[in-house]
Amino acid sequence: MIKLFKNKVVNFGLIVFSVVAFYKIEAVNAQASHMFRTYKHEVPQKLPENQNAVADGKKVYEKRCWYCHGITGGGNGPAAKTMFPKPRNFTRNEFKVRSTPFGSVPTDEDLFRIITSGIEGTAMPFWNTISETERWQVVYYLKTFNEQFKKDTSPEVLSVGNVVATQESIEKGRELFKEMKCYNCHGEDGRGNGPLTVAMQTQWNMPYRARDLTQSWNFKGGNTAGDIYRTISTGFNETPMGSYKDKLTDEERWSLAHYVESISKKMASDVVVKVKLLESGEMPGNPADEAWGQVTPMEIPLAGQIIAHPRLWEPSVDSVMIRGLYNDDEIAFLVEWDDRTNRQEDIFRDAVSLQFPAKIPDSLKKPYFGMGDSGGIVNLWQWKAYWNEGFGSVAEAPGSEPGSIMELNAKGFKKISVQPPEGQDVTGGGVYVNGRWKVVFKRALKTEDEKKDIQFEIGKLIPIAFAAWDGSNSDAGGQKSISAWYYILLEKPMPKTVFVYVLIAVVMGASVELWFLARLRRFPPKLEEDQE
Amino acid sequence: MGNKRSQYLMFWVVAAVIFLFFFLKYVSPVVFQVLMGKGHPMPTPSTLMMWYMIMGILAGLVYATTSNQKFVDFLGFLLPGQGTFLKFFLQKIFFIAFPLVVGWFVYSYSLPGAASPVELRIQHPTLPQKYEKMENPFREKDADIQRKCIEEGKVLFQTYCRPCHGSKADGNGPFANSFRLRPINFQDPGTIATVVDNYLFWRIKEGGPGLPSESTPWDSAMPAWDGDLEDEQMWKIIMGEYDTAGVMPRQREKAE
Ligand code: HEC
Ligand code: HEC
Ligand code: HEC
Repeated sequence: MIKLFKNKVVNFGLIVFSVVAFYKIEAVNAQASHMFRTYKHEVPQKLPENQNAVADGKKVYEKRCWYCHGITGGGNGPAAKTMFPKPRNFTRNEFKVRSTPFGSVPTDEDLFRIITSGIEGTAMPFWNTISETERWQVVYYLKTFNEQFKKDTSPEVLSVGNVVATQESIEKGRELFKEMKCYNCHGEDGRGNGPLTVAMQTQWNMPYRARDLTQSWNFKGGNTAGDIYRTISTGFNETPMGSYKDKLTDEERWSLAHYVESISKKMASDVVVKVKLLESGEMPGNPADEAWGQVTPMEIPLAGQIIAHPRLWEPSVDSVMIRGLYNDDEIAFLVEWDDRTNRQEDIFRDAVSLQFPAKIPDSLKKPYFGMGDSGGIVNLWQWKAYWNEGFGSVAEAPGSEPGSIMELNAKGFKKISVQPPEGQDVTGGGVYVNGRWKVVFKRALKTEDEKKDIQFEIGKLIPIAFAAWDGSNSDAGGQKSISAWYYILLEKPMPKTVFVYVLIAVVMGASVELWFLARLRRFPPKLEEDQE
Repeated sequence: MGNKRSQYLMFWVVAAVIFLFFFLKYVSPVVFQVLMGKGHPMPTPSTLMMWYMIMGILAGLVYATTSNQKFVDFLGFLLPGQGTFLKFFLQKIFFIAFPLVVGWFVYSYSLPGAASPVELRIQHPTLPQKYEKMENPFREKDADIQRKCIEEGKVLFQTYCRPCHGSKADGNGPFANSFRLRPINFQDPGTIATVVDNYLFWRIKEGGPGLPSESTPWDSAMPAWDGDLEDEQMWKIIMGEYDTAGVMPRQREKAE
């Protein structure tokens, strides 16, 4: 044995092997990695603003920004057609993130910050990848698109400071949220589903969507209390989000900011959805059931389906939340997502689907994550909101109608088949409450149709993928939001015997140790040439 | 011999192994994040972790057996007798810790496990033969035409590839977060800079579904653009893509 270790060649081989393994194989990051663009506050020393800087800024702009913002700054570059919201039109004063009064142009620092940070939930990238000098130069060039920058040279700048949230200030903010009618646009629970937003979107066809204040990652101007305070104080130019500086005192604006901060949540994502064993009671068939409270939810980020025609470049659902429960016979999932409208029209309906491989894969190999492929069938559980009107008419799904669930199979985008009525085993339904859909799917763990239906097994990683449709965004068919493969795991309850095993292991470990030590003491190792 | 250092040989070896564990678990993800310019830590995959730990333990043993003197010192740590209080103390800790560590292993293996699977894949499998001989028709054209192709290619790139690969070709498009197998960062010198134009042509034409199974085609969101984009557009996109990312294709071996 010792000889083997001494063999330098063997060692060298092992080291080379492991280095190569690391280099050659790229592990799919098991931890879902999110890189949300966040608002960064630091601003370095300013560059002098002069003709040269502007000329250099033009070069930067015409290399990096024009595809979106247009060569003349009109927000209509060639790549802009697939974007929502549209790139900023620099010839108008529609700047959103500012420390200056409503209607004023932003300061150079404001521009620098937003260019450095990028804007999550939109196409605007973060540009901390270009040098600070280049960023200042492009700021100066941007300002040449709009005369107003020359006129308001020294606007009044809001200083933000810091006020710590207390239970009281949050409560006060909650009241102000009602008093100031923020809910008219942002909805009662802050999900951006207020009646004005719905009307702007569906009746007046305006491009404004009030922010979903529960999703902290989508705040354009930052999600700290200070940032929110600034937004409430200065508003977003040329959007319905106005300034409350004259309507509310400083303290009141801070309270509102604290309240908004308290309802905004981070995306809690992971790779494995743990499906919990329901120890007692009926499997919940409805979203309001208390049993769901036992399960820690997990969120899955979604992207527009742009892999195959017809593509969805401007998705409106960017995440779903999932929980799972099972018992001896059944499994149930609760899927929730925010949707500003409950608006159904013929094929344009709110919907969600869960996708499983038709059979649990034995190896890493799975069907293609987008609706399977010729080598791998997937089993889809699809829920659709209720709609039963005449052609062309639009209606809200009433609370009394849970919608319908369909089981399908697919072997690729184009090969989709609905299972026959006798093969439909999934039950459940959905409700729309305050800007959020909550849909339950429920099925027996095993079914008779083993070819087409996933058969759940405890303790195995089972791939799962998600899709969601927003009817009011004209999502239908392939135009949907999708996710990659994730996994579900029906958690084994912790066997009581574990502790017995651990005890045995400790005792065994101790005995081996004692035996080894006893031997070692009896025959202590000696140097062969023990004289010296 | 018998100096203070060698009395503690076993302690040092064990400490080194423990250090290695913490390094792999907590330090290396951050180091790789910085080295590879990623915006998130790069956790060491558990199988690799196991390999490195085995290597580390072997290395420790190899070191301890490089001479008989070392081996004697190594085991000597466990023997009673002369030594400071510190040695006595560490010895006792070892004696107690060993059975506990064994118990902990058994416990953590029998927990209802929810470790995410390691999904190993090869990013650059061999180019299918069909594509080997292809040439980018625009690379040989004169500088003006090339310039024009690059510009056209960049616009196409911004239109079709941007949502995933990002406006800067850095793999940070607005949709990138949703694909666990992230869209490739083309600025990373380990990606398109290590291959040639026709390799990209294959990848763009056949996308994720065209990959062999060692590259996990089922996880790849890379669309197959065949049918949606003309071949000429793809060659232009490739030129625009390299230019946007600021890298060059690998130089072809000139030898014939
Ligand atoms: C991929 C397209 C794209 C590119 C490239 C791009 N932008 Fe934008 N930019 C946008 C979009 C879209 C918005 C609007 C976001 C919104 O309305 O919320 C925006 C908004 C902005 C804003 C306004 C922020 C505010 O507070 O209203 C500025 C300033 C800006 N971009 C500067 C730049 C600069 C400078 C560059 C080049 C270095 C650049 N952008 C490159 C898409 C882009
Ligand atoms: C008339 C409709 C309307 C009202 C009333 C309104 N908002 Fe807004 N709000 C919007 C819209 C629209 C946006 C999104 C603007 C955009 O991104 O273009 C928004 C965005 C926001 C944001 C997100 C800023 C960011 O960084 O992304 C916050 C915070 C906010 N509003 C708070 C409030 C508060 C607090 C009130 C009540 C005092 C309020 N809003 C009242 C329409 C409204
Ligand atoms: C829906 C997201 C998406 C879109 C859109 C997309 N890609 Fe990809 N692309 C990926 C993903 C994910 C990968 C990594 C997996 C793989 O290699 O298949 C990738 C990989 C690649 C690779 C392989 C790079 C390498 O070093 O192995 C190339 C080349 C590529 N994409 C080019 C493009 C081009 C050009 C476009 C636009 C015409 C495009 N992609 C559009 C998601 C996308």
